[in-house]
Amino acid sequence: MPGTSAFTVAAGAAFVAVMLIATSAASAGERVVIGSTGGAYDRALKAAWFDPFTQKTGIEVVVVSGTNAELRAKASAMVKSENVTWDLYLDGEIQAASEAHKSVTDDLTEFCIPYKPRKDLPANACDASGALVQSTATLLVYRADAAGVEDPQTWTDMWDTKRFPGGRAFPNFDDPWRVLAAALLADGVEKDKLFPLDVERAFRKLDEIRDSVTLWWKSGDQSVQGFRNGEYDLGQIWLTRAKAMADEGLPIKWSYKASFLVGDRVALIRGAPNRENALKLIAYWLDNPAAQAKACNALSCTPPSSDAIALMSEEARGSMPTTAEISQDLVVPDAAWINANAPTLLEQWNDWVR
Amino acid sequence: MNAVSRRSLSSWWLRLHHGRSAKSYPPAVSLLLVSPLMALLIVGFLYPVARLVQLSFTNGGEPYARLVRSGLYVGVLTDTILISATVAILCLVLGYPVALAMARLRRPVALLVAACVFIPLWTSVLIRSYAWVVLLQRNGLVNDLLITVGLIDMPLRLLYTHGAVILAMTHVLLPFAILPIQATLRSLPADLTRAASNLGATPVRAFLLVTLPLSLPGVFAGTLLCFVLALGFYITPALVGGPNSMMMATLIGQQTLVVLDWPFAAALSTLLLTVSLVLVAVFRRALAYNKGFSSVH
Repeated sequence: MPGTSAFTVAAGAAFVAVMLIATSAASAGERVVIGSTGGAYDRALKAAWFDPFTQKTGIEVVVVSGTNAELRAKASAMVKSENVTWDLYLDGEIQAASEAHKSVTDDLTEFCIPYKPRKDLPANACDASGALVQSTATLLVYRADAAGVEDPQTWTDMWDTKRFPGGRAFPNFDDPWRVLAAALLADGVEKDKLFPLDVERAFRKLDEIRDSVTLWWKSGDQSVQGFRNGEYDLGQIWLTRAKAMADEGLPIKWSYKASFLVGDRVALIRGAPNRENALKLIAYWLDNPAAQAKACNALSCTPPSSDAIALMSEEARGSMPTTAEISQDLVVPDAAWINANAPTLLEQWNDWVR
Repeated sequence: MNAVSRRSLSSWWLRLHHGRSAKSYPPAVSLLLVSPLMALLIVGFLYPVARLVQLSFTNGGEPYARLVRSGLYVGVLTDTILISATVAILCLVLGYPVALAMARLRRPVALLVAACVFIPLWTSVLIRSYAWVVLLQRNGLVNDLLITVGLIDMPLRLLYTHGAVILAMTHVLLPFAILPIQATLRSLPADLTRAASNLGATPVRAFLLVTLPLSLPGVFAGTLLCFVLALGFYITPALVGGPNSMMMATLIGQQTLVVLDWPFAAALSTLLLTVSLVLVAVFRRALAYNKGFSSVH
């Protein structure tokens, strides 16, 4: 009878699949599974961090790719269903400060104790939520070949469509605080008094520029493709992408006077199957400024260790914010406020942007 | 031909083609034959959907209260339904002639048309949507062509618009309209049209009075399929749409992946599911006045 035999086959296949999963988990050598964001980012981390780590310890590093949001959702689903197959994943600094993050990851306070006295590492390099991998800026970029025009420097300039004509680009990827913060800075709010964000004022300011926005980008490649095609002349985009375009020879420049610096953290998933190996992998990163320097040379990011910054190439350091710029102009986001208000912010943003 | 004769024609055709194979197996065997599929559906579809609906009622239905409180969700739902309806109608209008050609043309030509329908169907939605990005972007093929021809001086804004979303979605969904219509048309005996012309009908009249009414089950099946699939579109609006072409799937994705508010995501999904089911039921009900349309599933 076709019905029964098909069912038997299906049941048999399921059984074999379960056995395969069970045996592969049992017989695998020493390894650690990390969720990362893919592409050039993965390649740089693999070359500078994972491969040397495997050479030194013999522990294989398995990389799984996805967007930050996908990694977060997957890790969360694994913990909820008590079927954890990953050990580590990367997440943004702001999300890592949330309650949801705490319920999915292990507290690393104890692991961090030896790193606290290290002079080359900032206080947030290792804390309960995970270890800092690198930081990158979201900032104002502009087309540099518009002859005879002075360079835009601040968010106020971004809003000044008379002095700086041309299309504008802003991100529209479900994390709207950067755009709102830029609007408030353009409206004259002091950077120290930015948080809590005056959301209504920010939207009023955004109303002014709405008609000049020619690109609302959702993915990094849209911001790159848009600049290549001349869809905008001034934009709020990621430094890593701007740097890649500058390397290509495109006429793009950026201003740290209008920038937000946000880090990426590596977090240990609750119930990680290779917990010890995972901690060794984190330690390897924090202990090796040379590895950090190598990765950030490729990605144009800011490494956690100041020793690593010293090891980076002259050229890479040139595209990084200076210490003076960091203290004067860089905005430090209030992660606790952003997390507490994330659902409402997103709802208000959706309502405004559509 | 008047209405009565048209109805008797379609019921004659139904009697000829309906209800023979279903009766040739005893119920126990039929049940056994469908049991693997049923098991798969229960485990892989009904159970997760039930859990999803259950999840949406956490905290005493609080997610639903939030859903009604902001006008955003009802607004996006309305947009989603309007976009889907537009796409479904476009698929029908563009798909019917193709289906007719596939059913009527001679074999080598029909095969060529079929290949043009099937090859896009086998290509990933992601790739097809990116292809539209290449065509529609500021320095894309369409703008380049229009400028070269001299129709426009400045590139037009084509990408990241409502029109781009409808265009790309119609392209992705077109085969789902063509195939059911073509299947119905091909099963129509050629004698019927021949009889019509024999009785003095012009080709247009024969098409309008014989072919078109008899192909309606396929038309409705195809259009409904396009409509329901369009309601859940996610990738295409994300790639070619602007901020004003937000659809329900985008909001559900945000709640699932970014905010991690799964009860609220479940409430949004349940809303979309309910609205789809209601629309499909209403659609079927409205068409049920004629028995010939009862094969709309």
